[in-house]
Amino acid sequence: MKRTLTLLMAALALSLGATAFGQTEITLGRFFGACEQAGTDIKSAVGEACIIQSIINAFSAADNGIKVNTLPTDWGNYYDQLKAMFAAGNPPNIFVIHKHAIPEFASLGALADLGPDLAQVGIDPNDWTAAGKAAVTYDGKIYAIPMDVHANLWYVNMDIMKQAGLVNADGTPMVPHSPEELLQQAKIVKEKTGKDYLTADFSQFPIGVRLVLSLVWQQNSELFTSTKANVDSPEAKKAVETIVSLFKGGYADPTLNYNDSMQSFINGNAAILVNGDWVVNSLDAQTKDPKVALKHFYVDNFPTLFQTPATWADSHTWAIPSTLKKQNPDEYWAALKLAKWIYDHDLDWARTGHLSVSKSVIANPAYAALPHRQEYANTVNIARDVKQTTHYDAIQNVLNRQLQAIWLTDKPIDQALKDANQQVQDILDQ
Amino acid sequence: MDTTGPTPDRAVRPGGARGRSGGLRDTLEGYAFAGPFLVAYGLFLIYPFFKGIWISLHDWNLLAVAFNPAAKHFVGLKNYVHMVWGQHLVWGVDHLVWARAIGLAAVVAALALASRGRLPWRTAVPLAVVGVLLFGVALGIHPASDGRWYDRRFWHIVWNTLLFVLLTVPSVTVIALGLAIALNRQSRHAAALRTAFFLSQVLSVTVVTLIWQLMFSPKQGILANLFRTLGLQPIEWITNPQLAMPAIVITTVWWSIGFALIIFLAGLQEIPAELYEAARIDGAGGWRIVRNITLPALSRTTTLVVVLQIILQFQVFGQSHLITRGGPDDSTQVLVRYIYQTAFQNSRLGYASALSVFLFIFMLGFSLLQARLQGSD
Repeated sequence: MKRTLTLLMAALALSLGATAFGQTEITLGRFFGACEQAGTDIKSAVGEACIIQSIINAFSAADNGIKVNTLPTDWGNYYDQLKAMFAAGNPPNIFVIHKHAIPEFASLGALADLGPDLAQVGIDPNDWTAAGKAAVTYDGKIYAIPMDVHANLWYVNMDIMKQAGLVNADGTPMVPHSPEELLQQAKIVKEKTGKDYLTADFSQFPIGVRLVLSLVWQQNSELFTSTKANVDSPEAKKAVETIVSLFKGGYADPTLNYNDSMQSFINGNAAILVNGDWVVNSLDAQTKDPKVALKHFYVDNFPTLFQTPATWADSHTWAIPSTLKKQNPDEYWAALKLAKWIYDHDLDWARTGHLSVSKSVIANPAYAALPHRQEYANTVNIARDVKQTTHYDAIQNVLNRQLQAIWLTDKPIDQALKDANQQVQDILDQ
Repeated sequence: MDTTGPTPDRAVRPGGARGRSGGLRDTLEGYAFAGPFLVAYGLFLIYPFFKGIWISLHDWNLLAVAFNPAAKHFVGLKNYVHMVWGQHLVWGVDHLVWARAIGLAAVVAALALASRGRLPWRTAVPLAVVGVLLFGVALGIHPASDGRWYDRRFWHIVWNTLLFVLLTVPSVTVIALGLAIALNRQSRHAAALRTAFFLSQVLSVTVVTLIWQLMFSPKQGILANLFRTLGLQPIEWITNPQLAMPAIVITTVWWSIGFALIIFLAGLQEIPAELYEAARIDGAGGWRIVRNITLPALSRTTTLVVVLQIILQFQVFGQSHLITRGGPDDSTQVLVRYIYQTAFQNSRLGYASALSVFLFIFMLGFSLLQARLQGSD
């Protein structure tokens, strides 16, 4: 009896603990995947999911009176879940949001205008790069705190390139400067090594869309403006044909999804991987595993195949719901403090491979010393992204569907681009 | 009943005024028991249903209305017109000619059956009217060369959904029925197998799709490895527009047979053993027993299974969403996934609700058709 009572008291004390010490509990929504074993050791974490979760865990564990509850969300359906939570009046107190999605949420009044409150928690927007500031600004107001710029890169398996004789005297890989050179390189790799030239996710996530966007920008064109679709342009056709020529020649496999294409590169089955900068860190960790075929890789800037250098980019940023400050000021300020904490760890986040948006981090020698960082140093200058639109997700869906129809179902390019143009115009007209 | 004298239940009650007040009390008690259910039913089914119809008459942005209730506009039937209609539509006798010919042939067959007395006229006539309107008239409508459907994807998605149901429901029914007949015996093997076949049913759609993604993957998949050991080229199920739908159907059949199997087994238990004994004494063999005793005795069970399956499979979502993401080129895009994307990706709640109402009417129509056809046997 006495023991039961003691146990009961202990349980009661534990359950009251949170409120007894005046802790504020906030909810956080993010993608990047799950990292179950994430502790609070930020320095040893590898890859996006574990690095961000260890940063969050460290904040939650610190003696600051704030506990962070990371909500379970799923990558593919993140924005659907976020919208549903907003519609139900129960959004997370702080959540990650892409630059491309800020116009849609901000224009409907979902995001808090953070500008006036940044100074109070010690966030200085003057430390943000121009790209970082542009990422979180809509209609002249600051709706989020930037965390990175992330761009498509050109990952090169150096062993395959050496075997194919496609390495410069200084040890850097040769890069193609035109669609013809691209095809020529692909042919050489296939003939000399039997490997695929290029791999990327062309069948699942919109990596193919980003590739086409980059090649269209390189020709000084756009797939759409804020009012007009321009998908069936000669420039778009040229961009798609460039990619399709790799499939037609048997130099790339369009059926691979995200994981398959990563595996293909890691297993040494493809010379080039096109993917975002977020895998620099995890690929680097993989090469240290003796069982992995990929031994030496180089991370180049995305090559310029047409007139103007350009590669697709976007930004991850952190936003707070517009309603929170009035409903629960404690949670609002706690969320802002967490945003500052995350921003203060931008160097750790940059370890993933992302480009920092903090001037002080970029000036830090440790940033320049990150693995492979110097190889793609110019990416920050050629990074481009889509024009601000409140419908980007819907447009990207259309483009992904029609492009996949081209490379997976042999739909004629002209027809697919015409259909895409109509469907994008339908969305812009809504 | 009241005029024939007190029922035993009422006879034990004291007092004279038992008739009316007893009835009232019974009524109250009845409502008290049914009340919780009625409240929940009204709150979570009836109210949302009519709210959905109400929303479908509006231009209603999910997020905008959440922040500003005045942000919706009443548009009448505009969403429905946008959904089913188009610009410069024409009618052509040769449009979808094969599907329509088959449909009209079915109408003729129904009338022929009726004239021979195998189908009641009260079933055959409405069927024929609906069939002629659908196959003779409606399916001939299509956009002219300079025209378009307002929603270019809608009818294609309706067809995908229908195709999925047409492939899945008969497969599940036939396989489950065959398994039920084979496993309807009291041996340990049969019990173990019944459990095994039912096991897939308890898994959630995420687990089921994960399992089948591993099966179908052209790189690491079990099927691909099987093909490679046989010296064959692995099939790219999920990225091939002809095979993506069959892949989803296979997944669904594997997932769904357990439930149908249980219903069929229950139906089999109801068939009196004497019938089988009599048949055997008369010298009937296995197949004749199945055809002349088991199948006729199971006709009501089969109707139940088919109608439940139709209602269930029209709402397919997870398999398409998680395995193929509706692709490639919309070949596995189905109505519920389209409704989901319209509501939660594009925030167009009004249009999504109109799509939902369409799906409801579509499912109701098919369930009625099926019940009519089988009920008239």
